[in-house]
Amino acid sequence: MESKFTEAYQKISEDGHESECDKVARMLDLMIDGEASTEEQSYFNTHIEECIACFESHQKQKLLKGLVSGHLKRVIVPESLALSIKARIQVTV
Amino acid sequence: MSEQTGKQLSKEEKDARFEAELLPVLDPLYNFAYRLTLDEDDANDLVQETYLKAYRFFDYFEQGTNAKAWLFRILKNSFINEFRKKSKQPAKVDYSEVEGYYNSDDVEGEGGVATTTDMRTESVQDLIGDEVASALNALPVDFRTVIILCDLEGFTYEEMAKILDIPIGTVRSRLHRARNSLKEKLEKYAKSMGYNG
Ligand SMILES: [Zn+2]
Repeated sequence: MESKFTEAYQKISEDGHESECDKVARMLDLMIDGEASTEEQSYFNTHIEECIACFESHQKQKLLKGLVSGHLKRVIVPESLALSIKARIQVTV
Repeated sequence: MSEQTGKQLSKEEKDARFEAELLPVLDPLYNFAYRLTLDEDDANDLVQETYLKAYRFFDYFEQGTNAKAWLFRILKNSFINEFRKKSKQPAKVDYSEVEGYYNSDDVEGEGGVATTTDMRTESVQDLIGDEVASALNALPVDFRTVIILCDLEGFTYEEMAKILDIPIGTVRSRLHRARNSLKEKLEKYAKSMGYNG
């Protein structure tokens, strides 16, 4: 799905200067991981209020993180493991 | 131990502290080991080895500091330094090649998205979980590692840098590349299921 916003974004980035959209793209991980500074957050949020393409990238990135954090099943620790660790510790000086 | 200035703990005290502070990390640690080795027995061995090392170095562990990050770092180092060498698998096996053996359960015939009953919802949830697992397992181990540490265990970039012994800038770029590969693999799946990514 190619929106007119995406086209505009591509035109801007061709001239070699870093566009606002490029900057925002580099902040995506910082934002979803809660590592962005207060200034970065407000820069980012102001931009995605007006730019559909970046808004959508943000949604996709959040979704991706959510797939891992919310859907990846945890494996069950074998019951014997804690016992064997304790037993081995006891005989270790 | 002659350099140790503080009062020496008795073995009983040490064992009690060890169990209270480090054993609660067993669950995330075992999950991490499993995601690295993709084998339950290997994960078991790796976790035991990690705890034995932690016990030997326990005098150097500062109480109240991040026990989870400390154990994860020991486990990661064990995996790299020793475990890979003595592993039963041939040394040259890339983990992405093991993908096929894992999760061979097929997902055919479960294409429903619009779910009304709880049962349906549950099976779709399982299906997504399986797909995320096999996409993740297909990534190179370095990529898999940063995604697990960040998205599953919630470590900060700074903690990840310490666990992995790499600069924060490297954590960021590795995570970025890892997510791009994961996205690619999941998009292939979405297309095979008839969705247009
Ligand atoms: Zn933008």
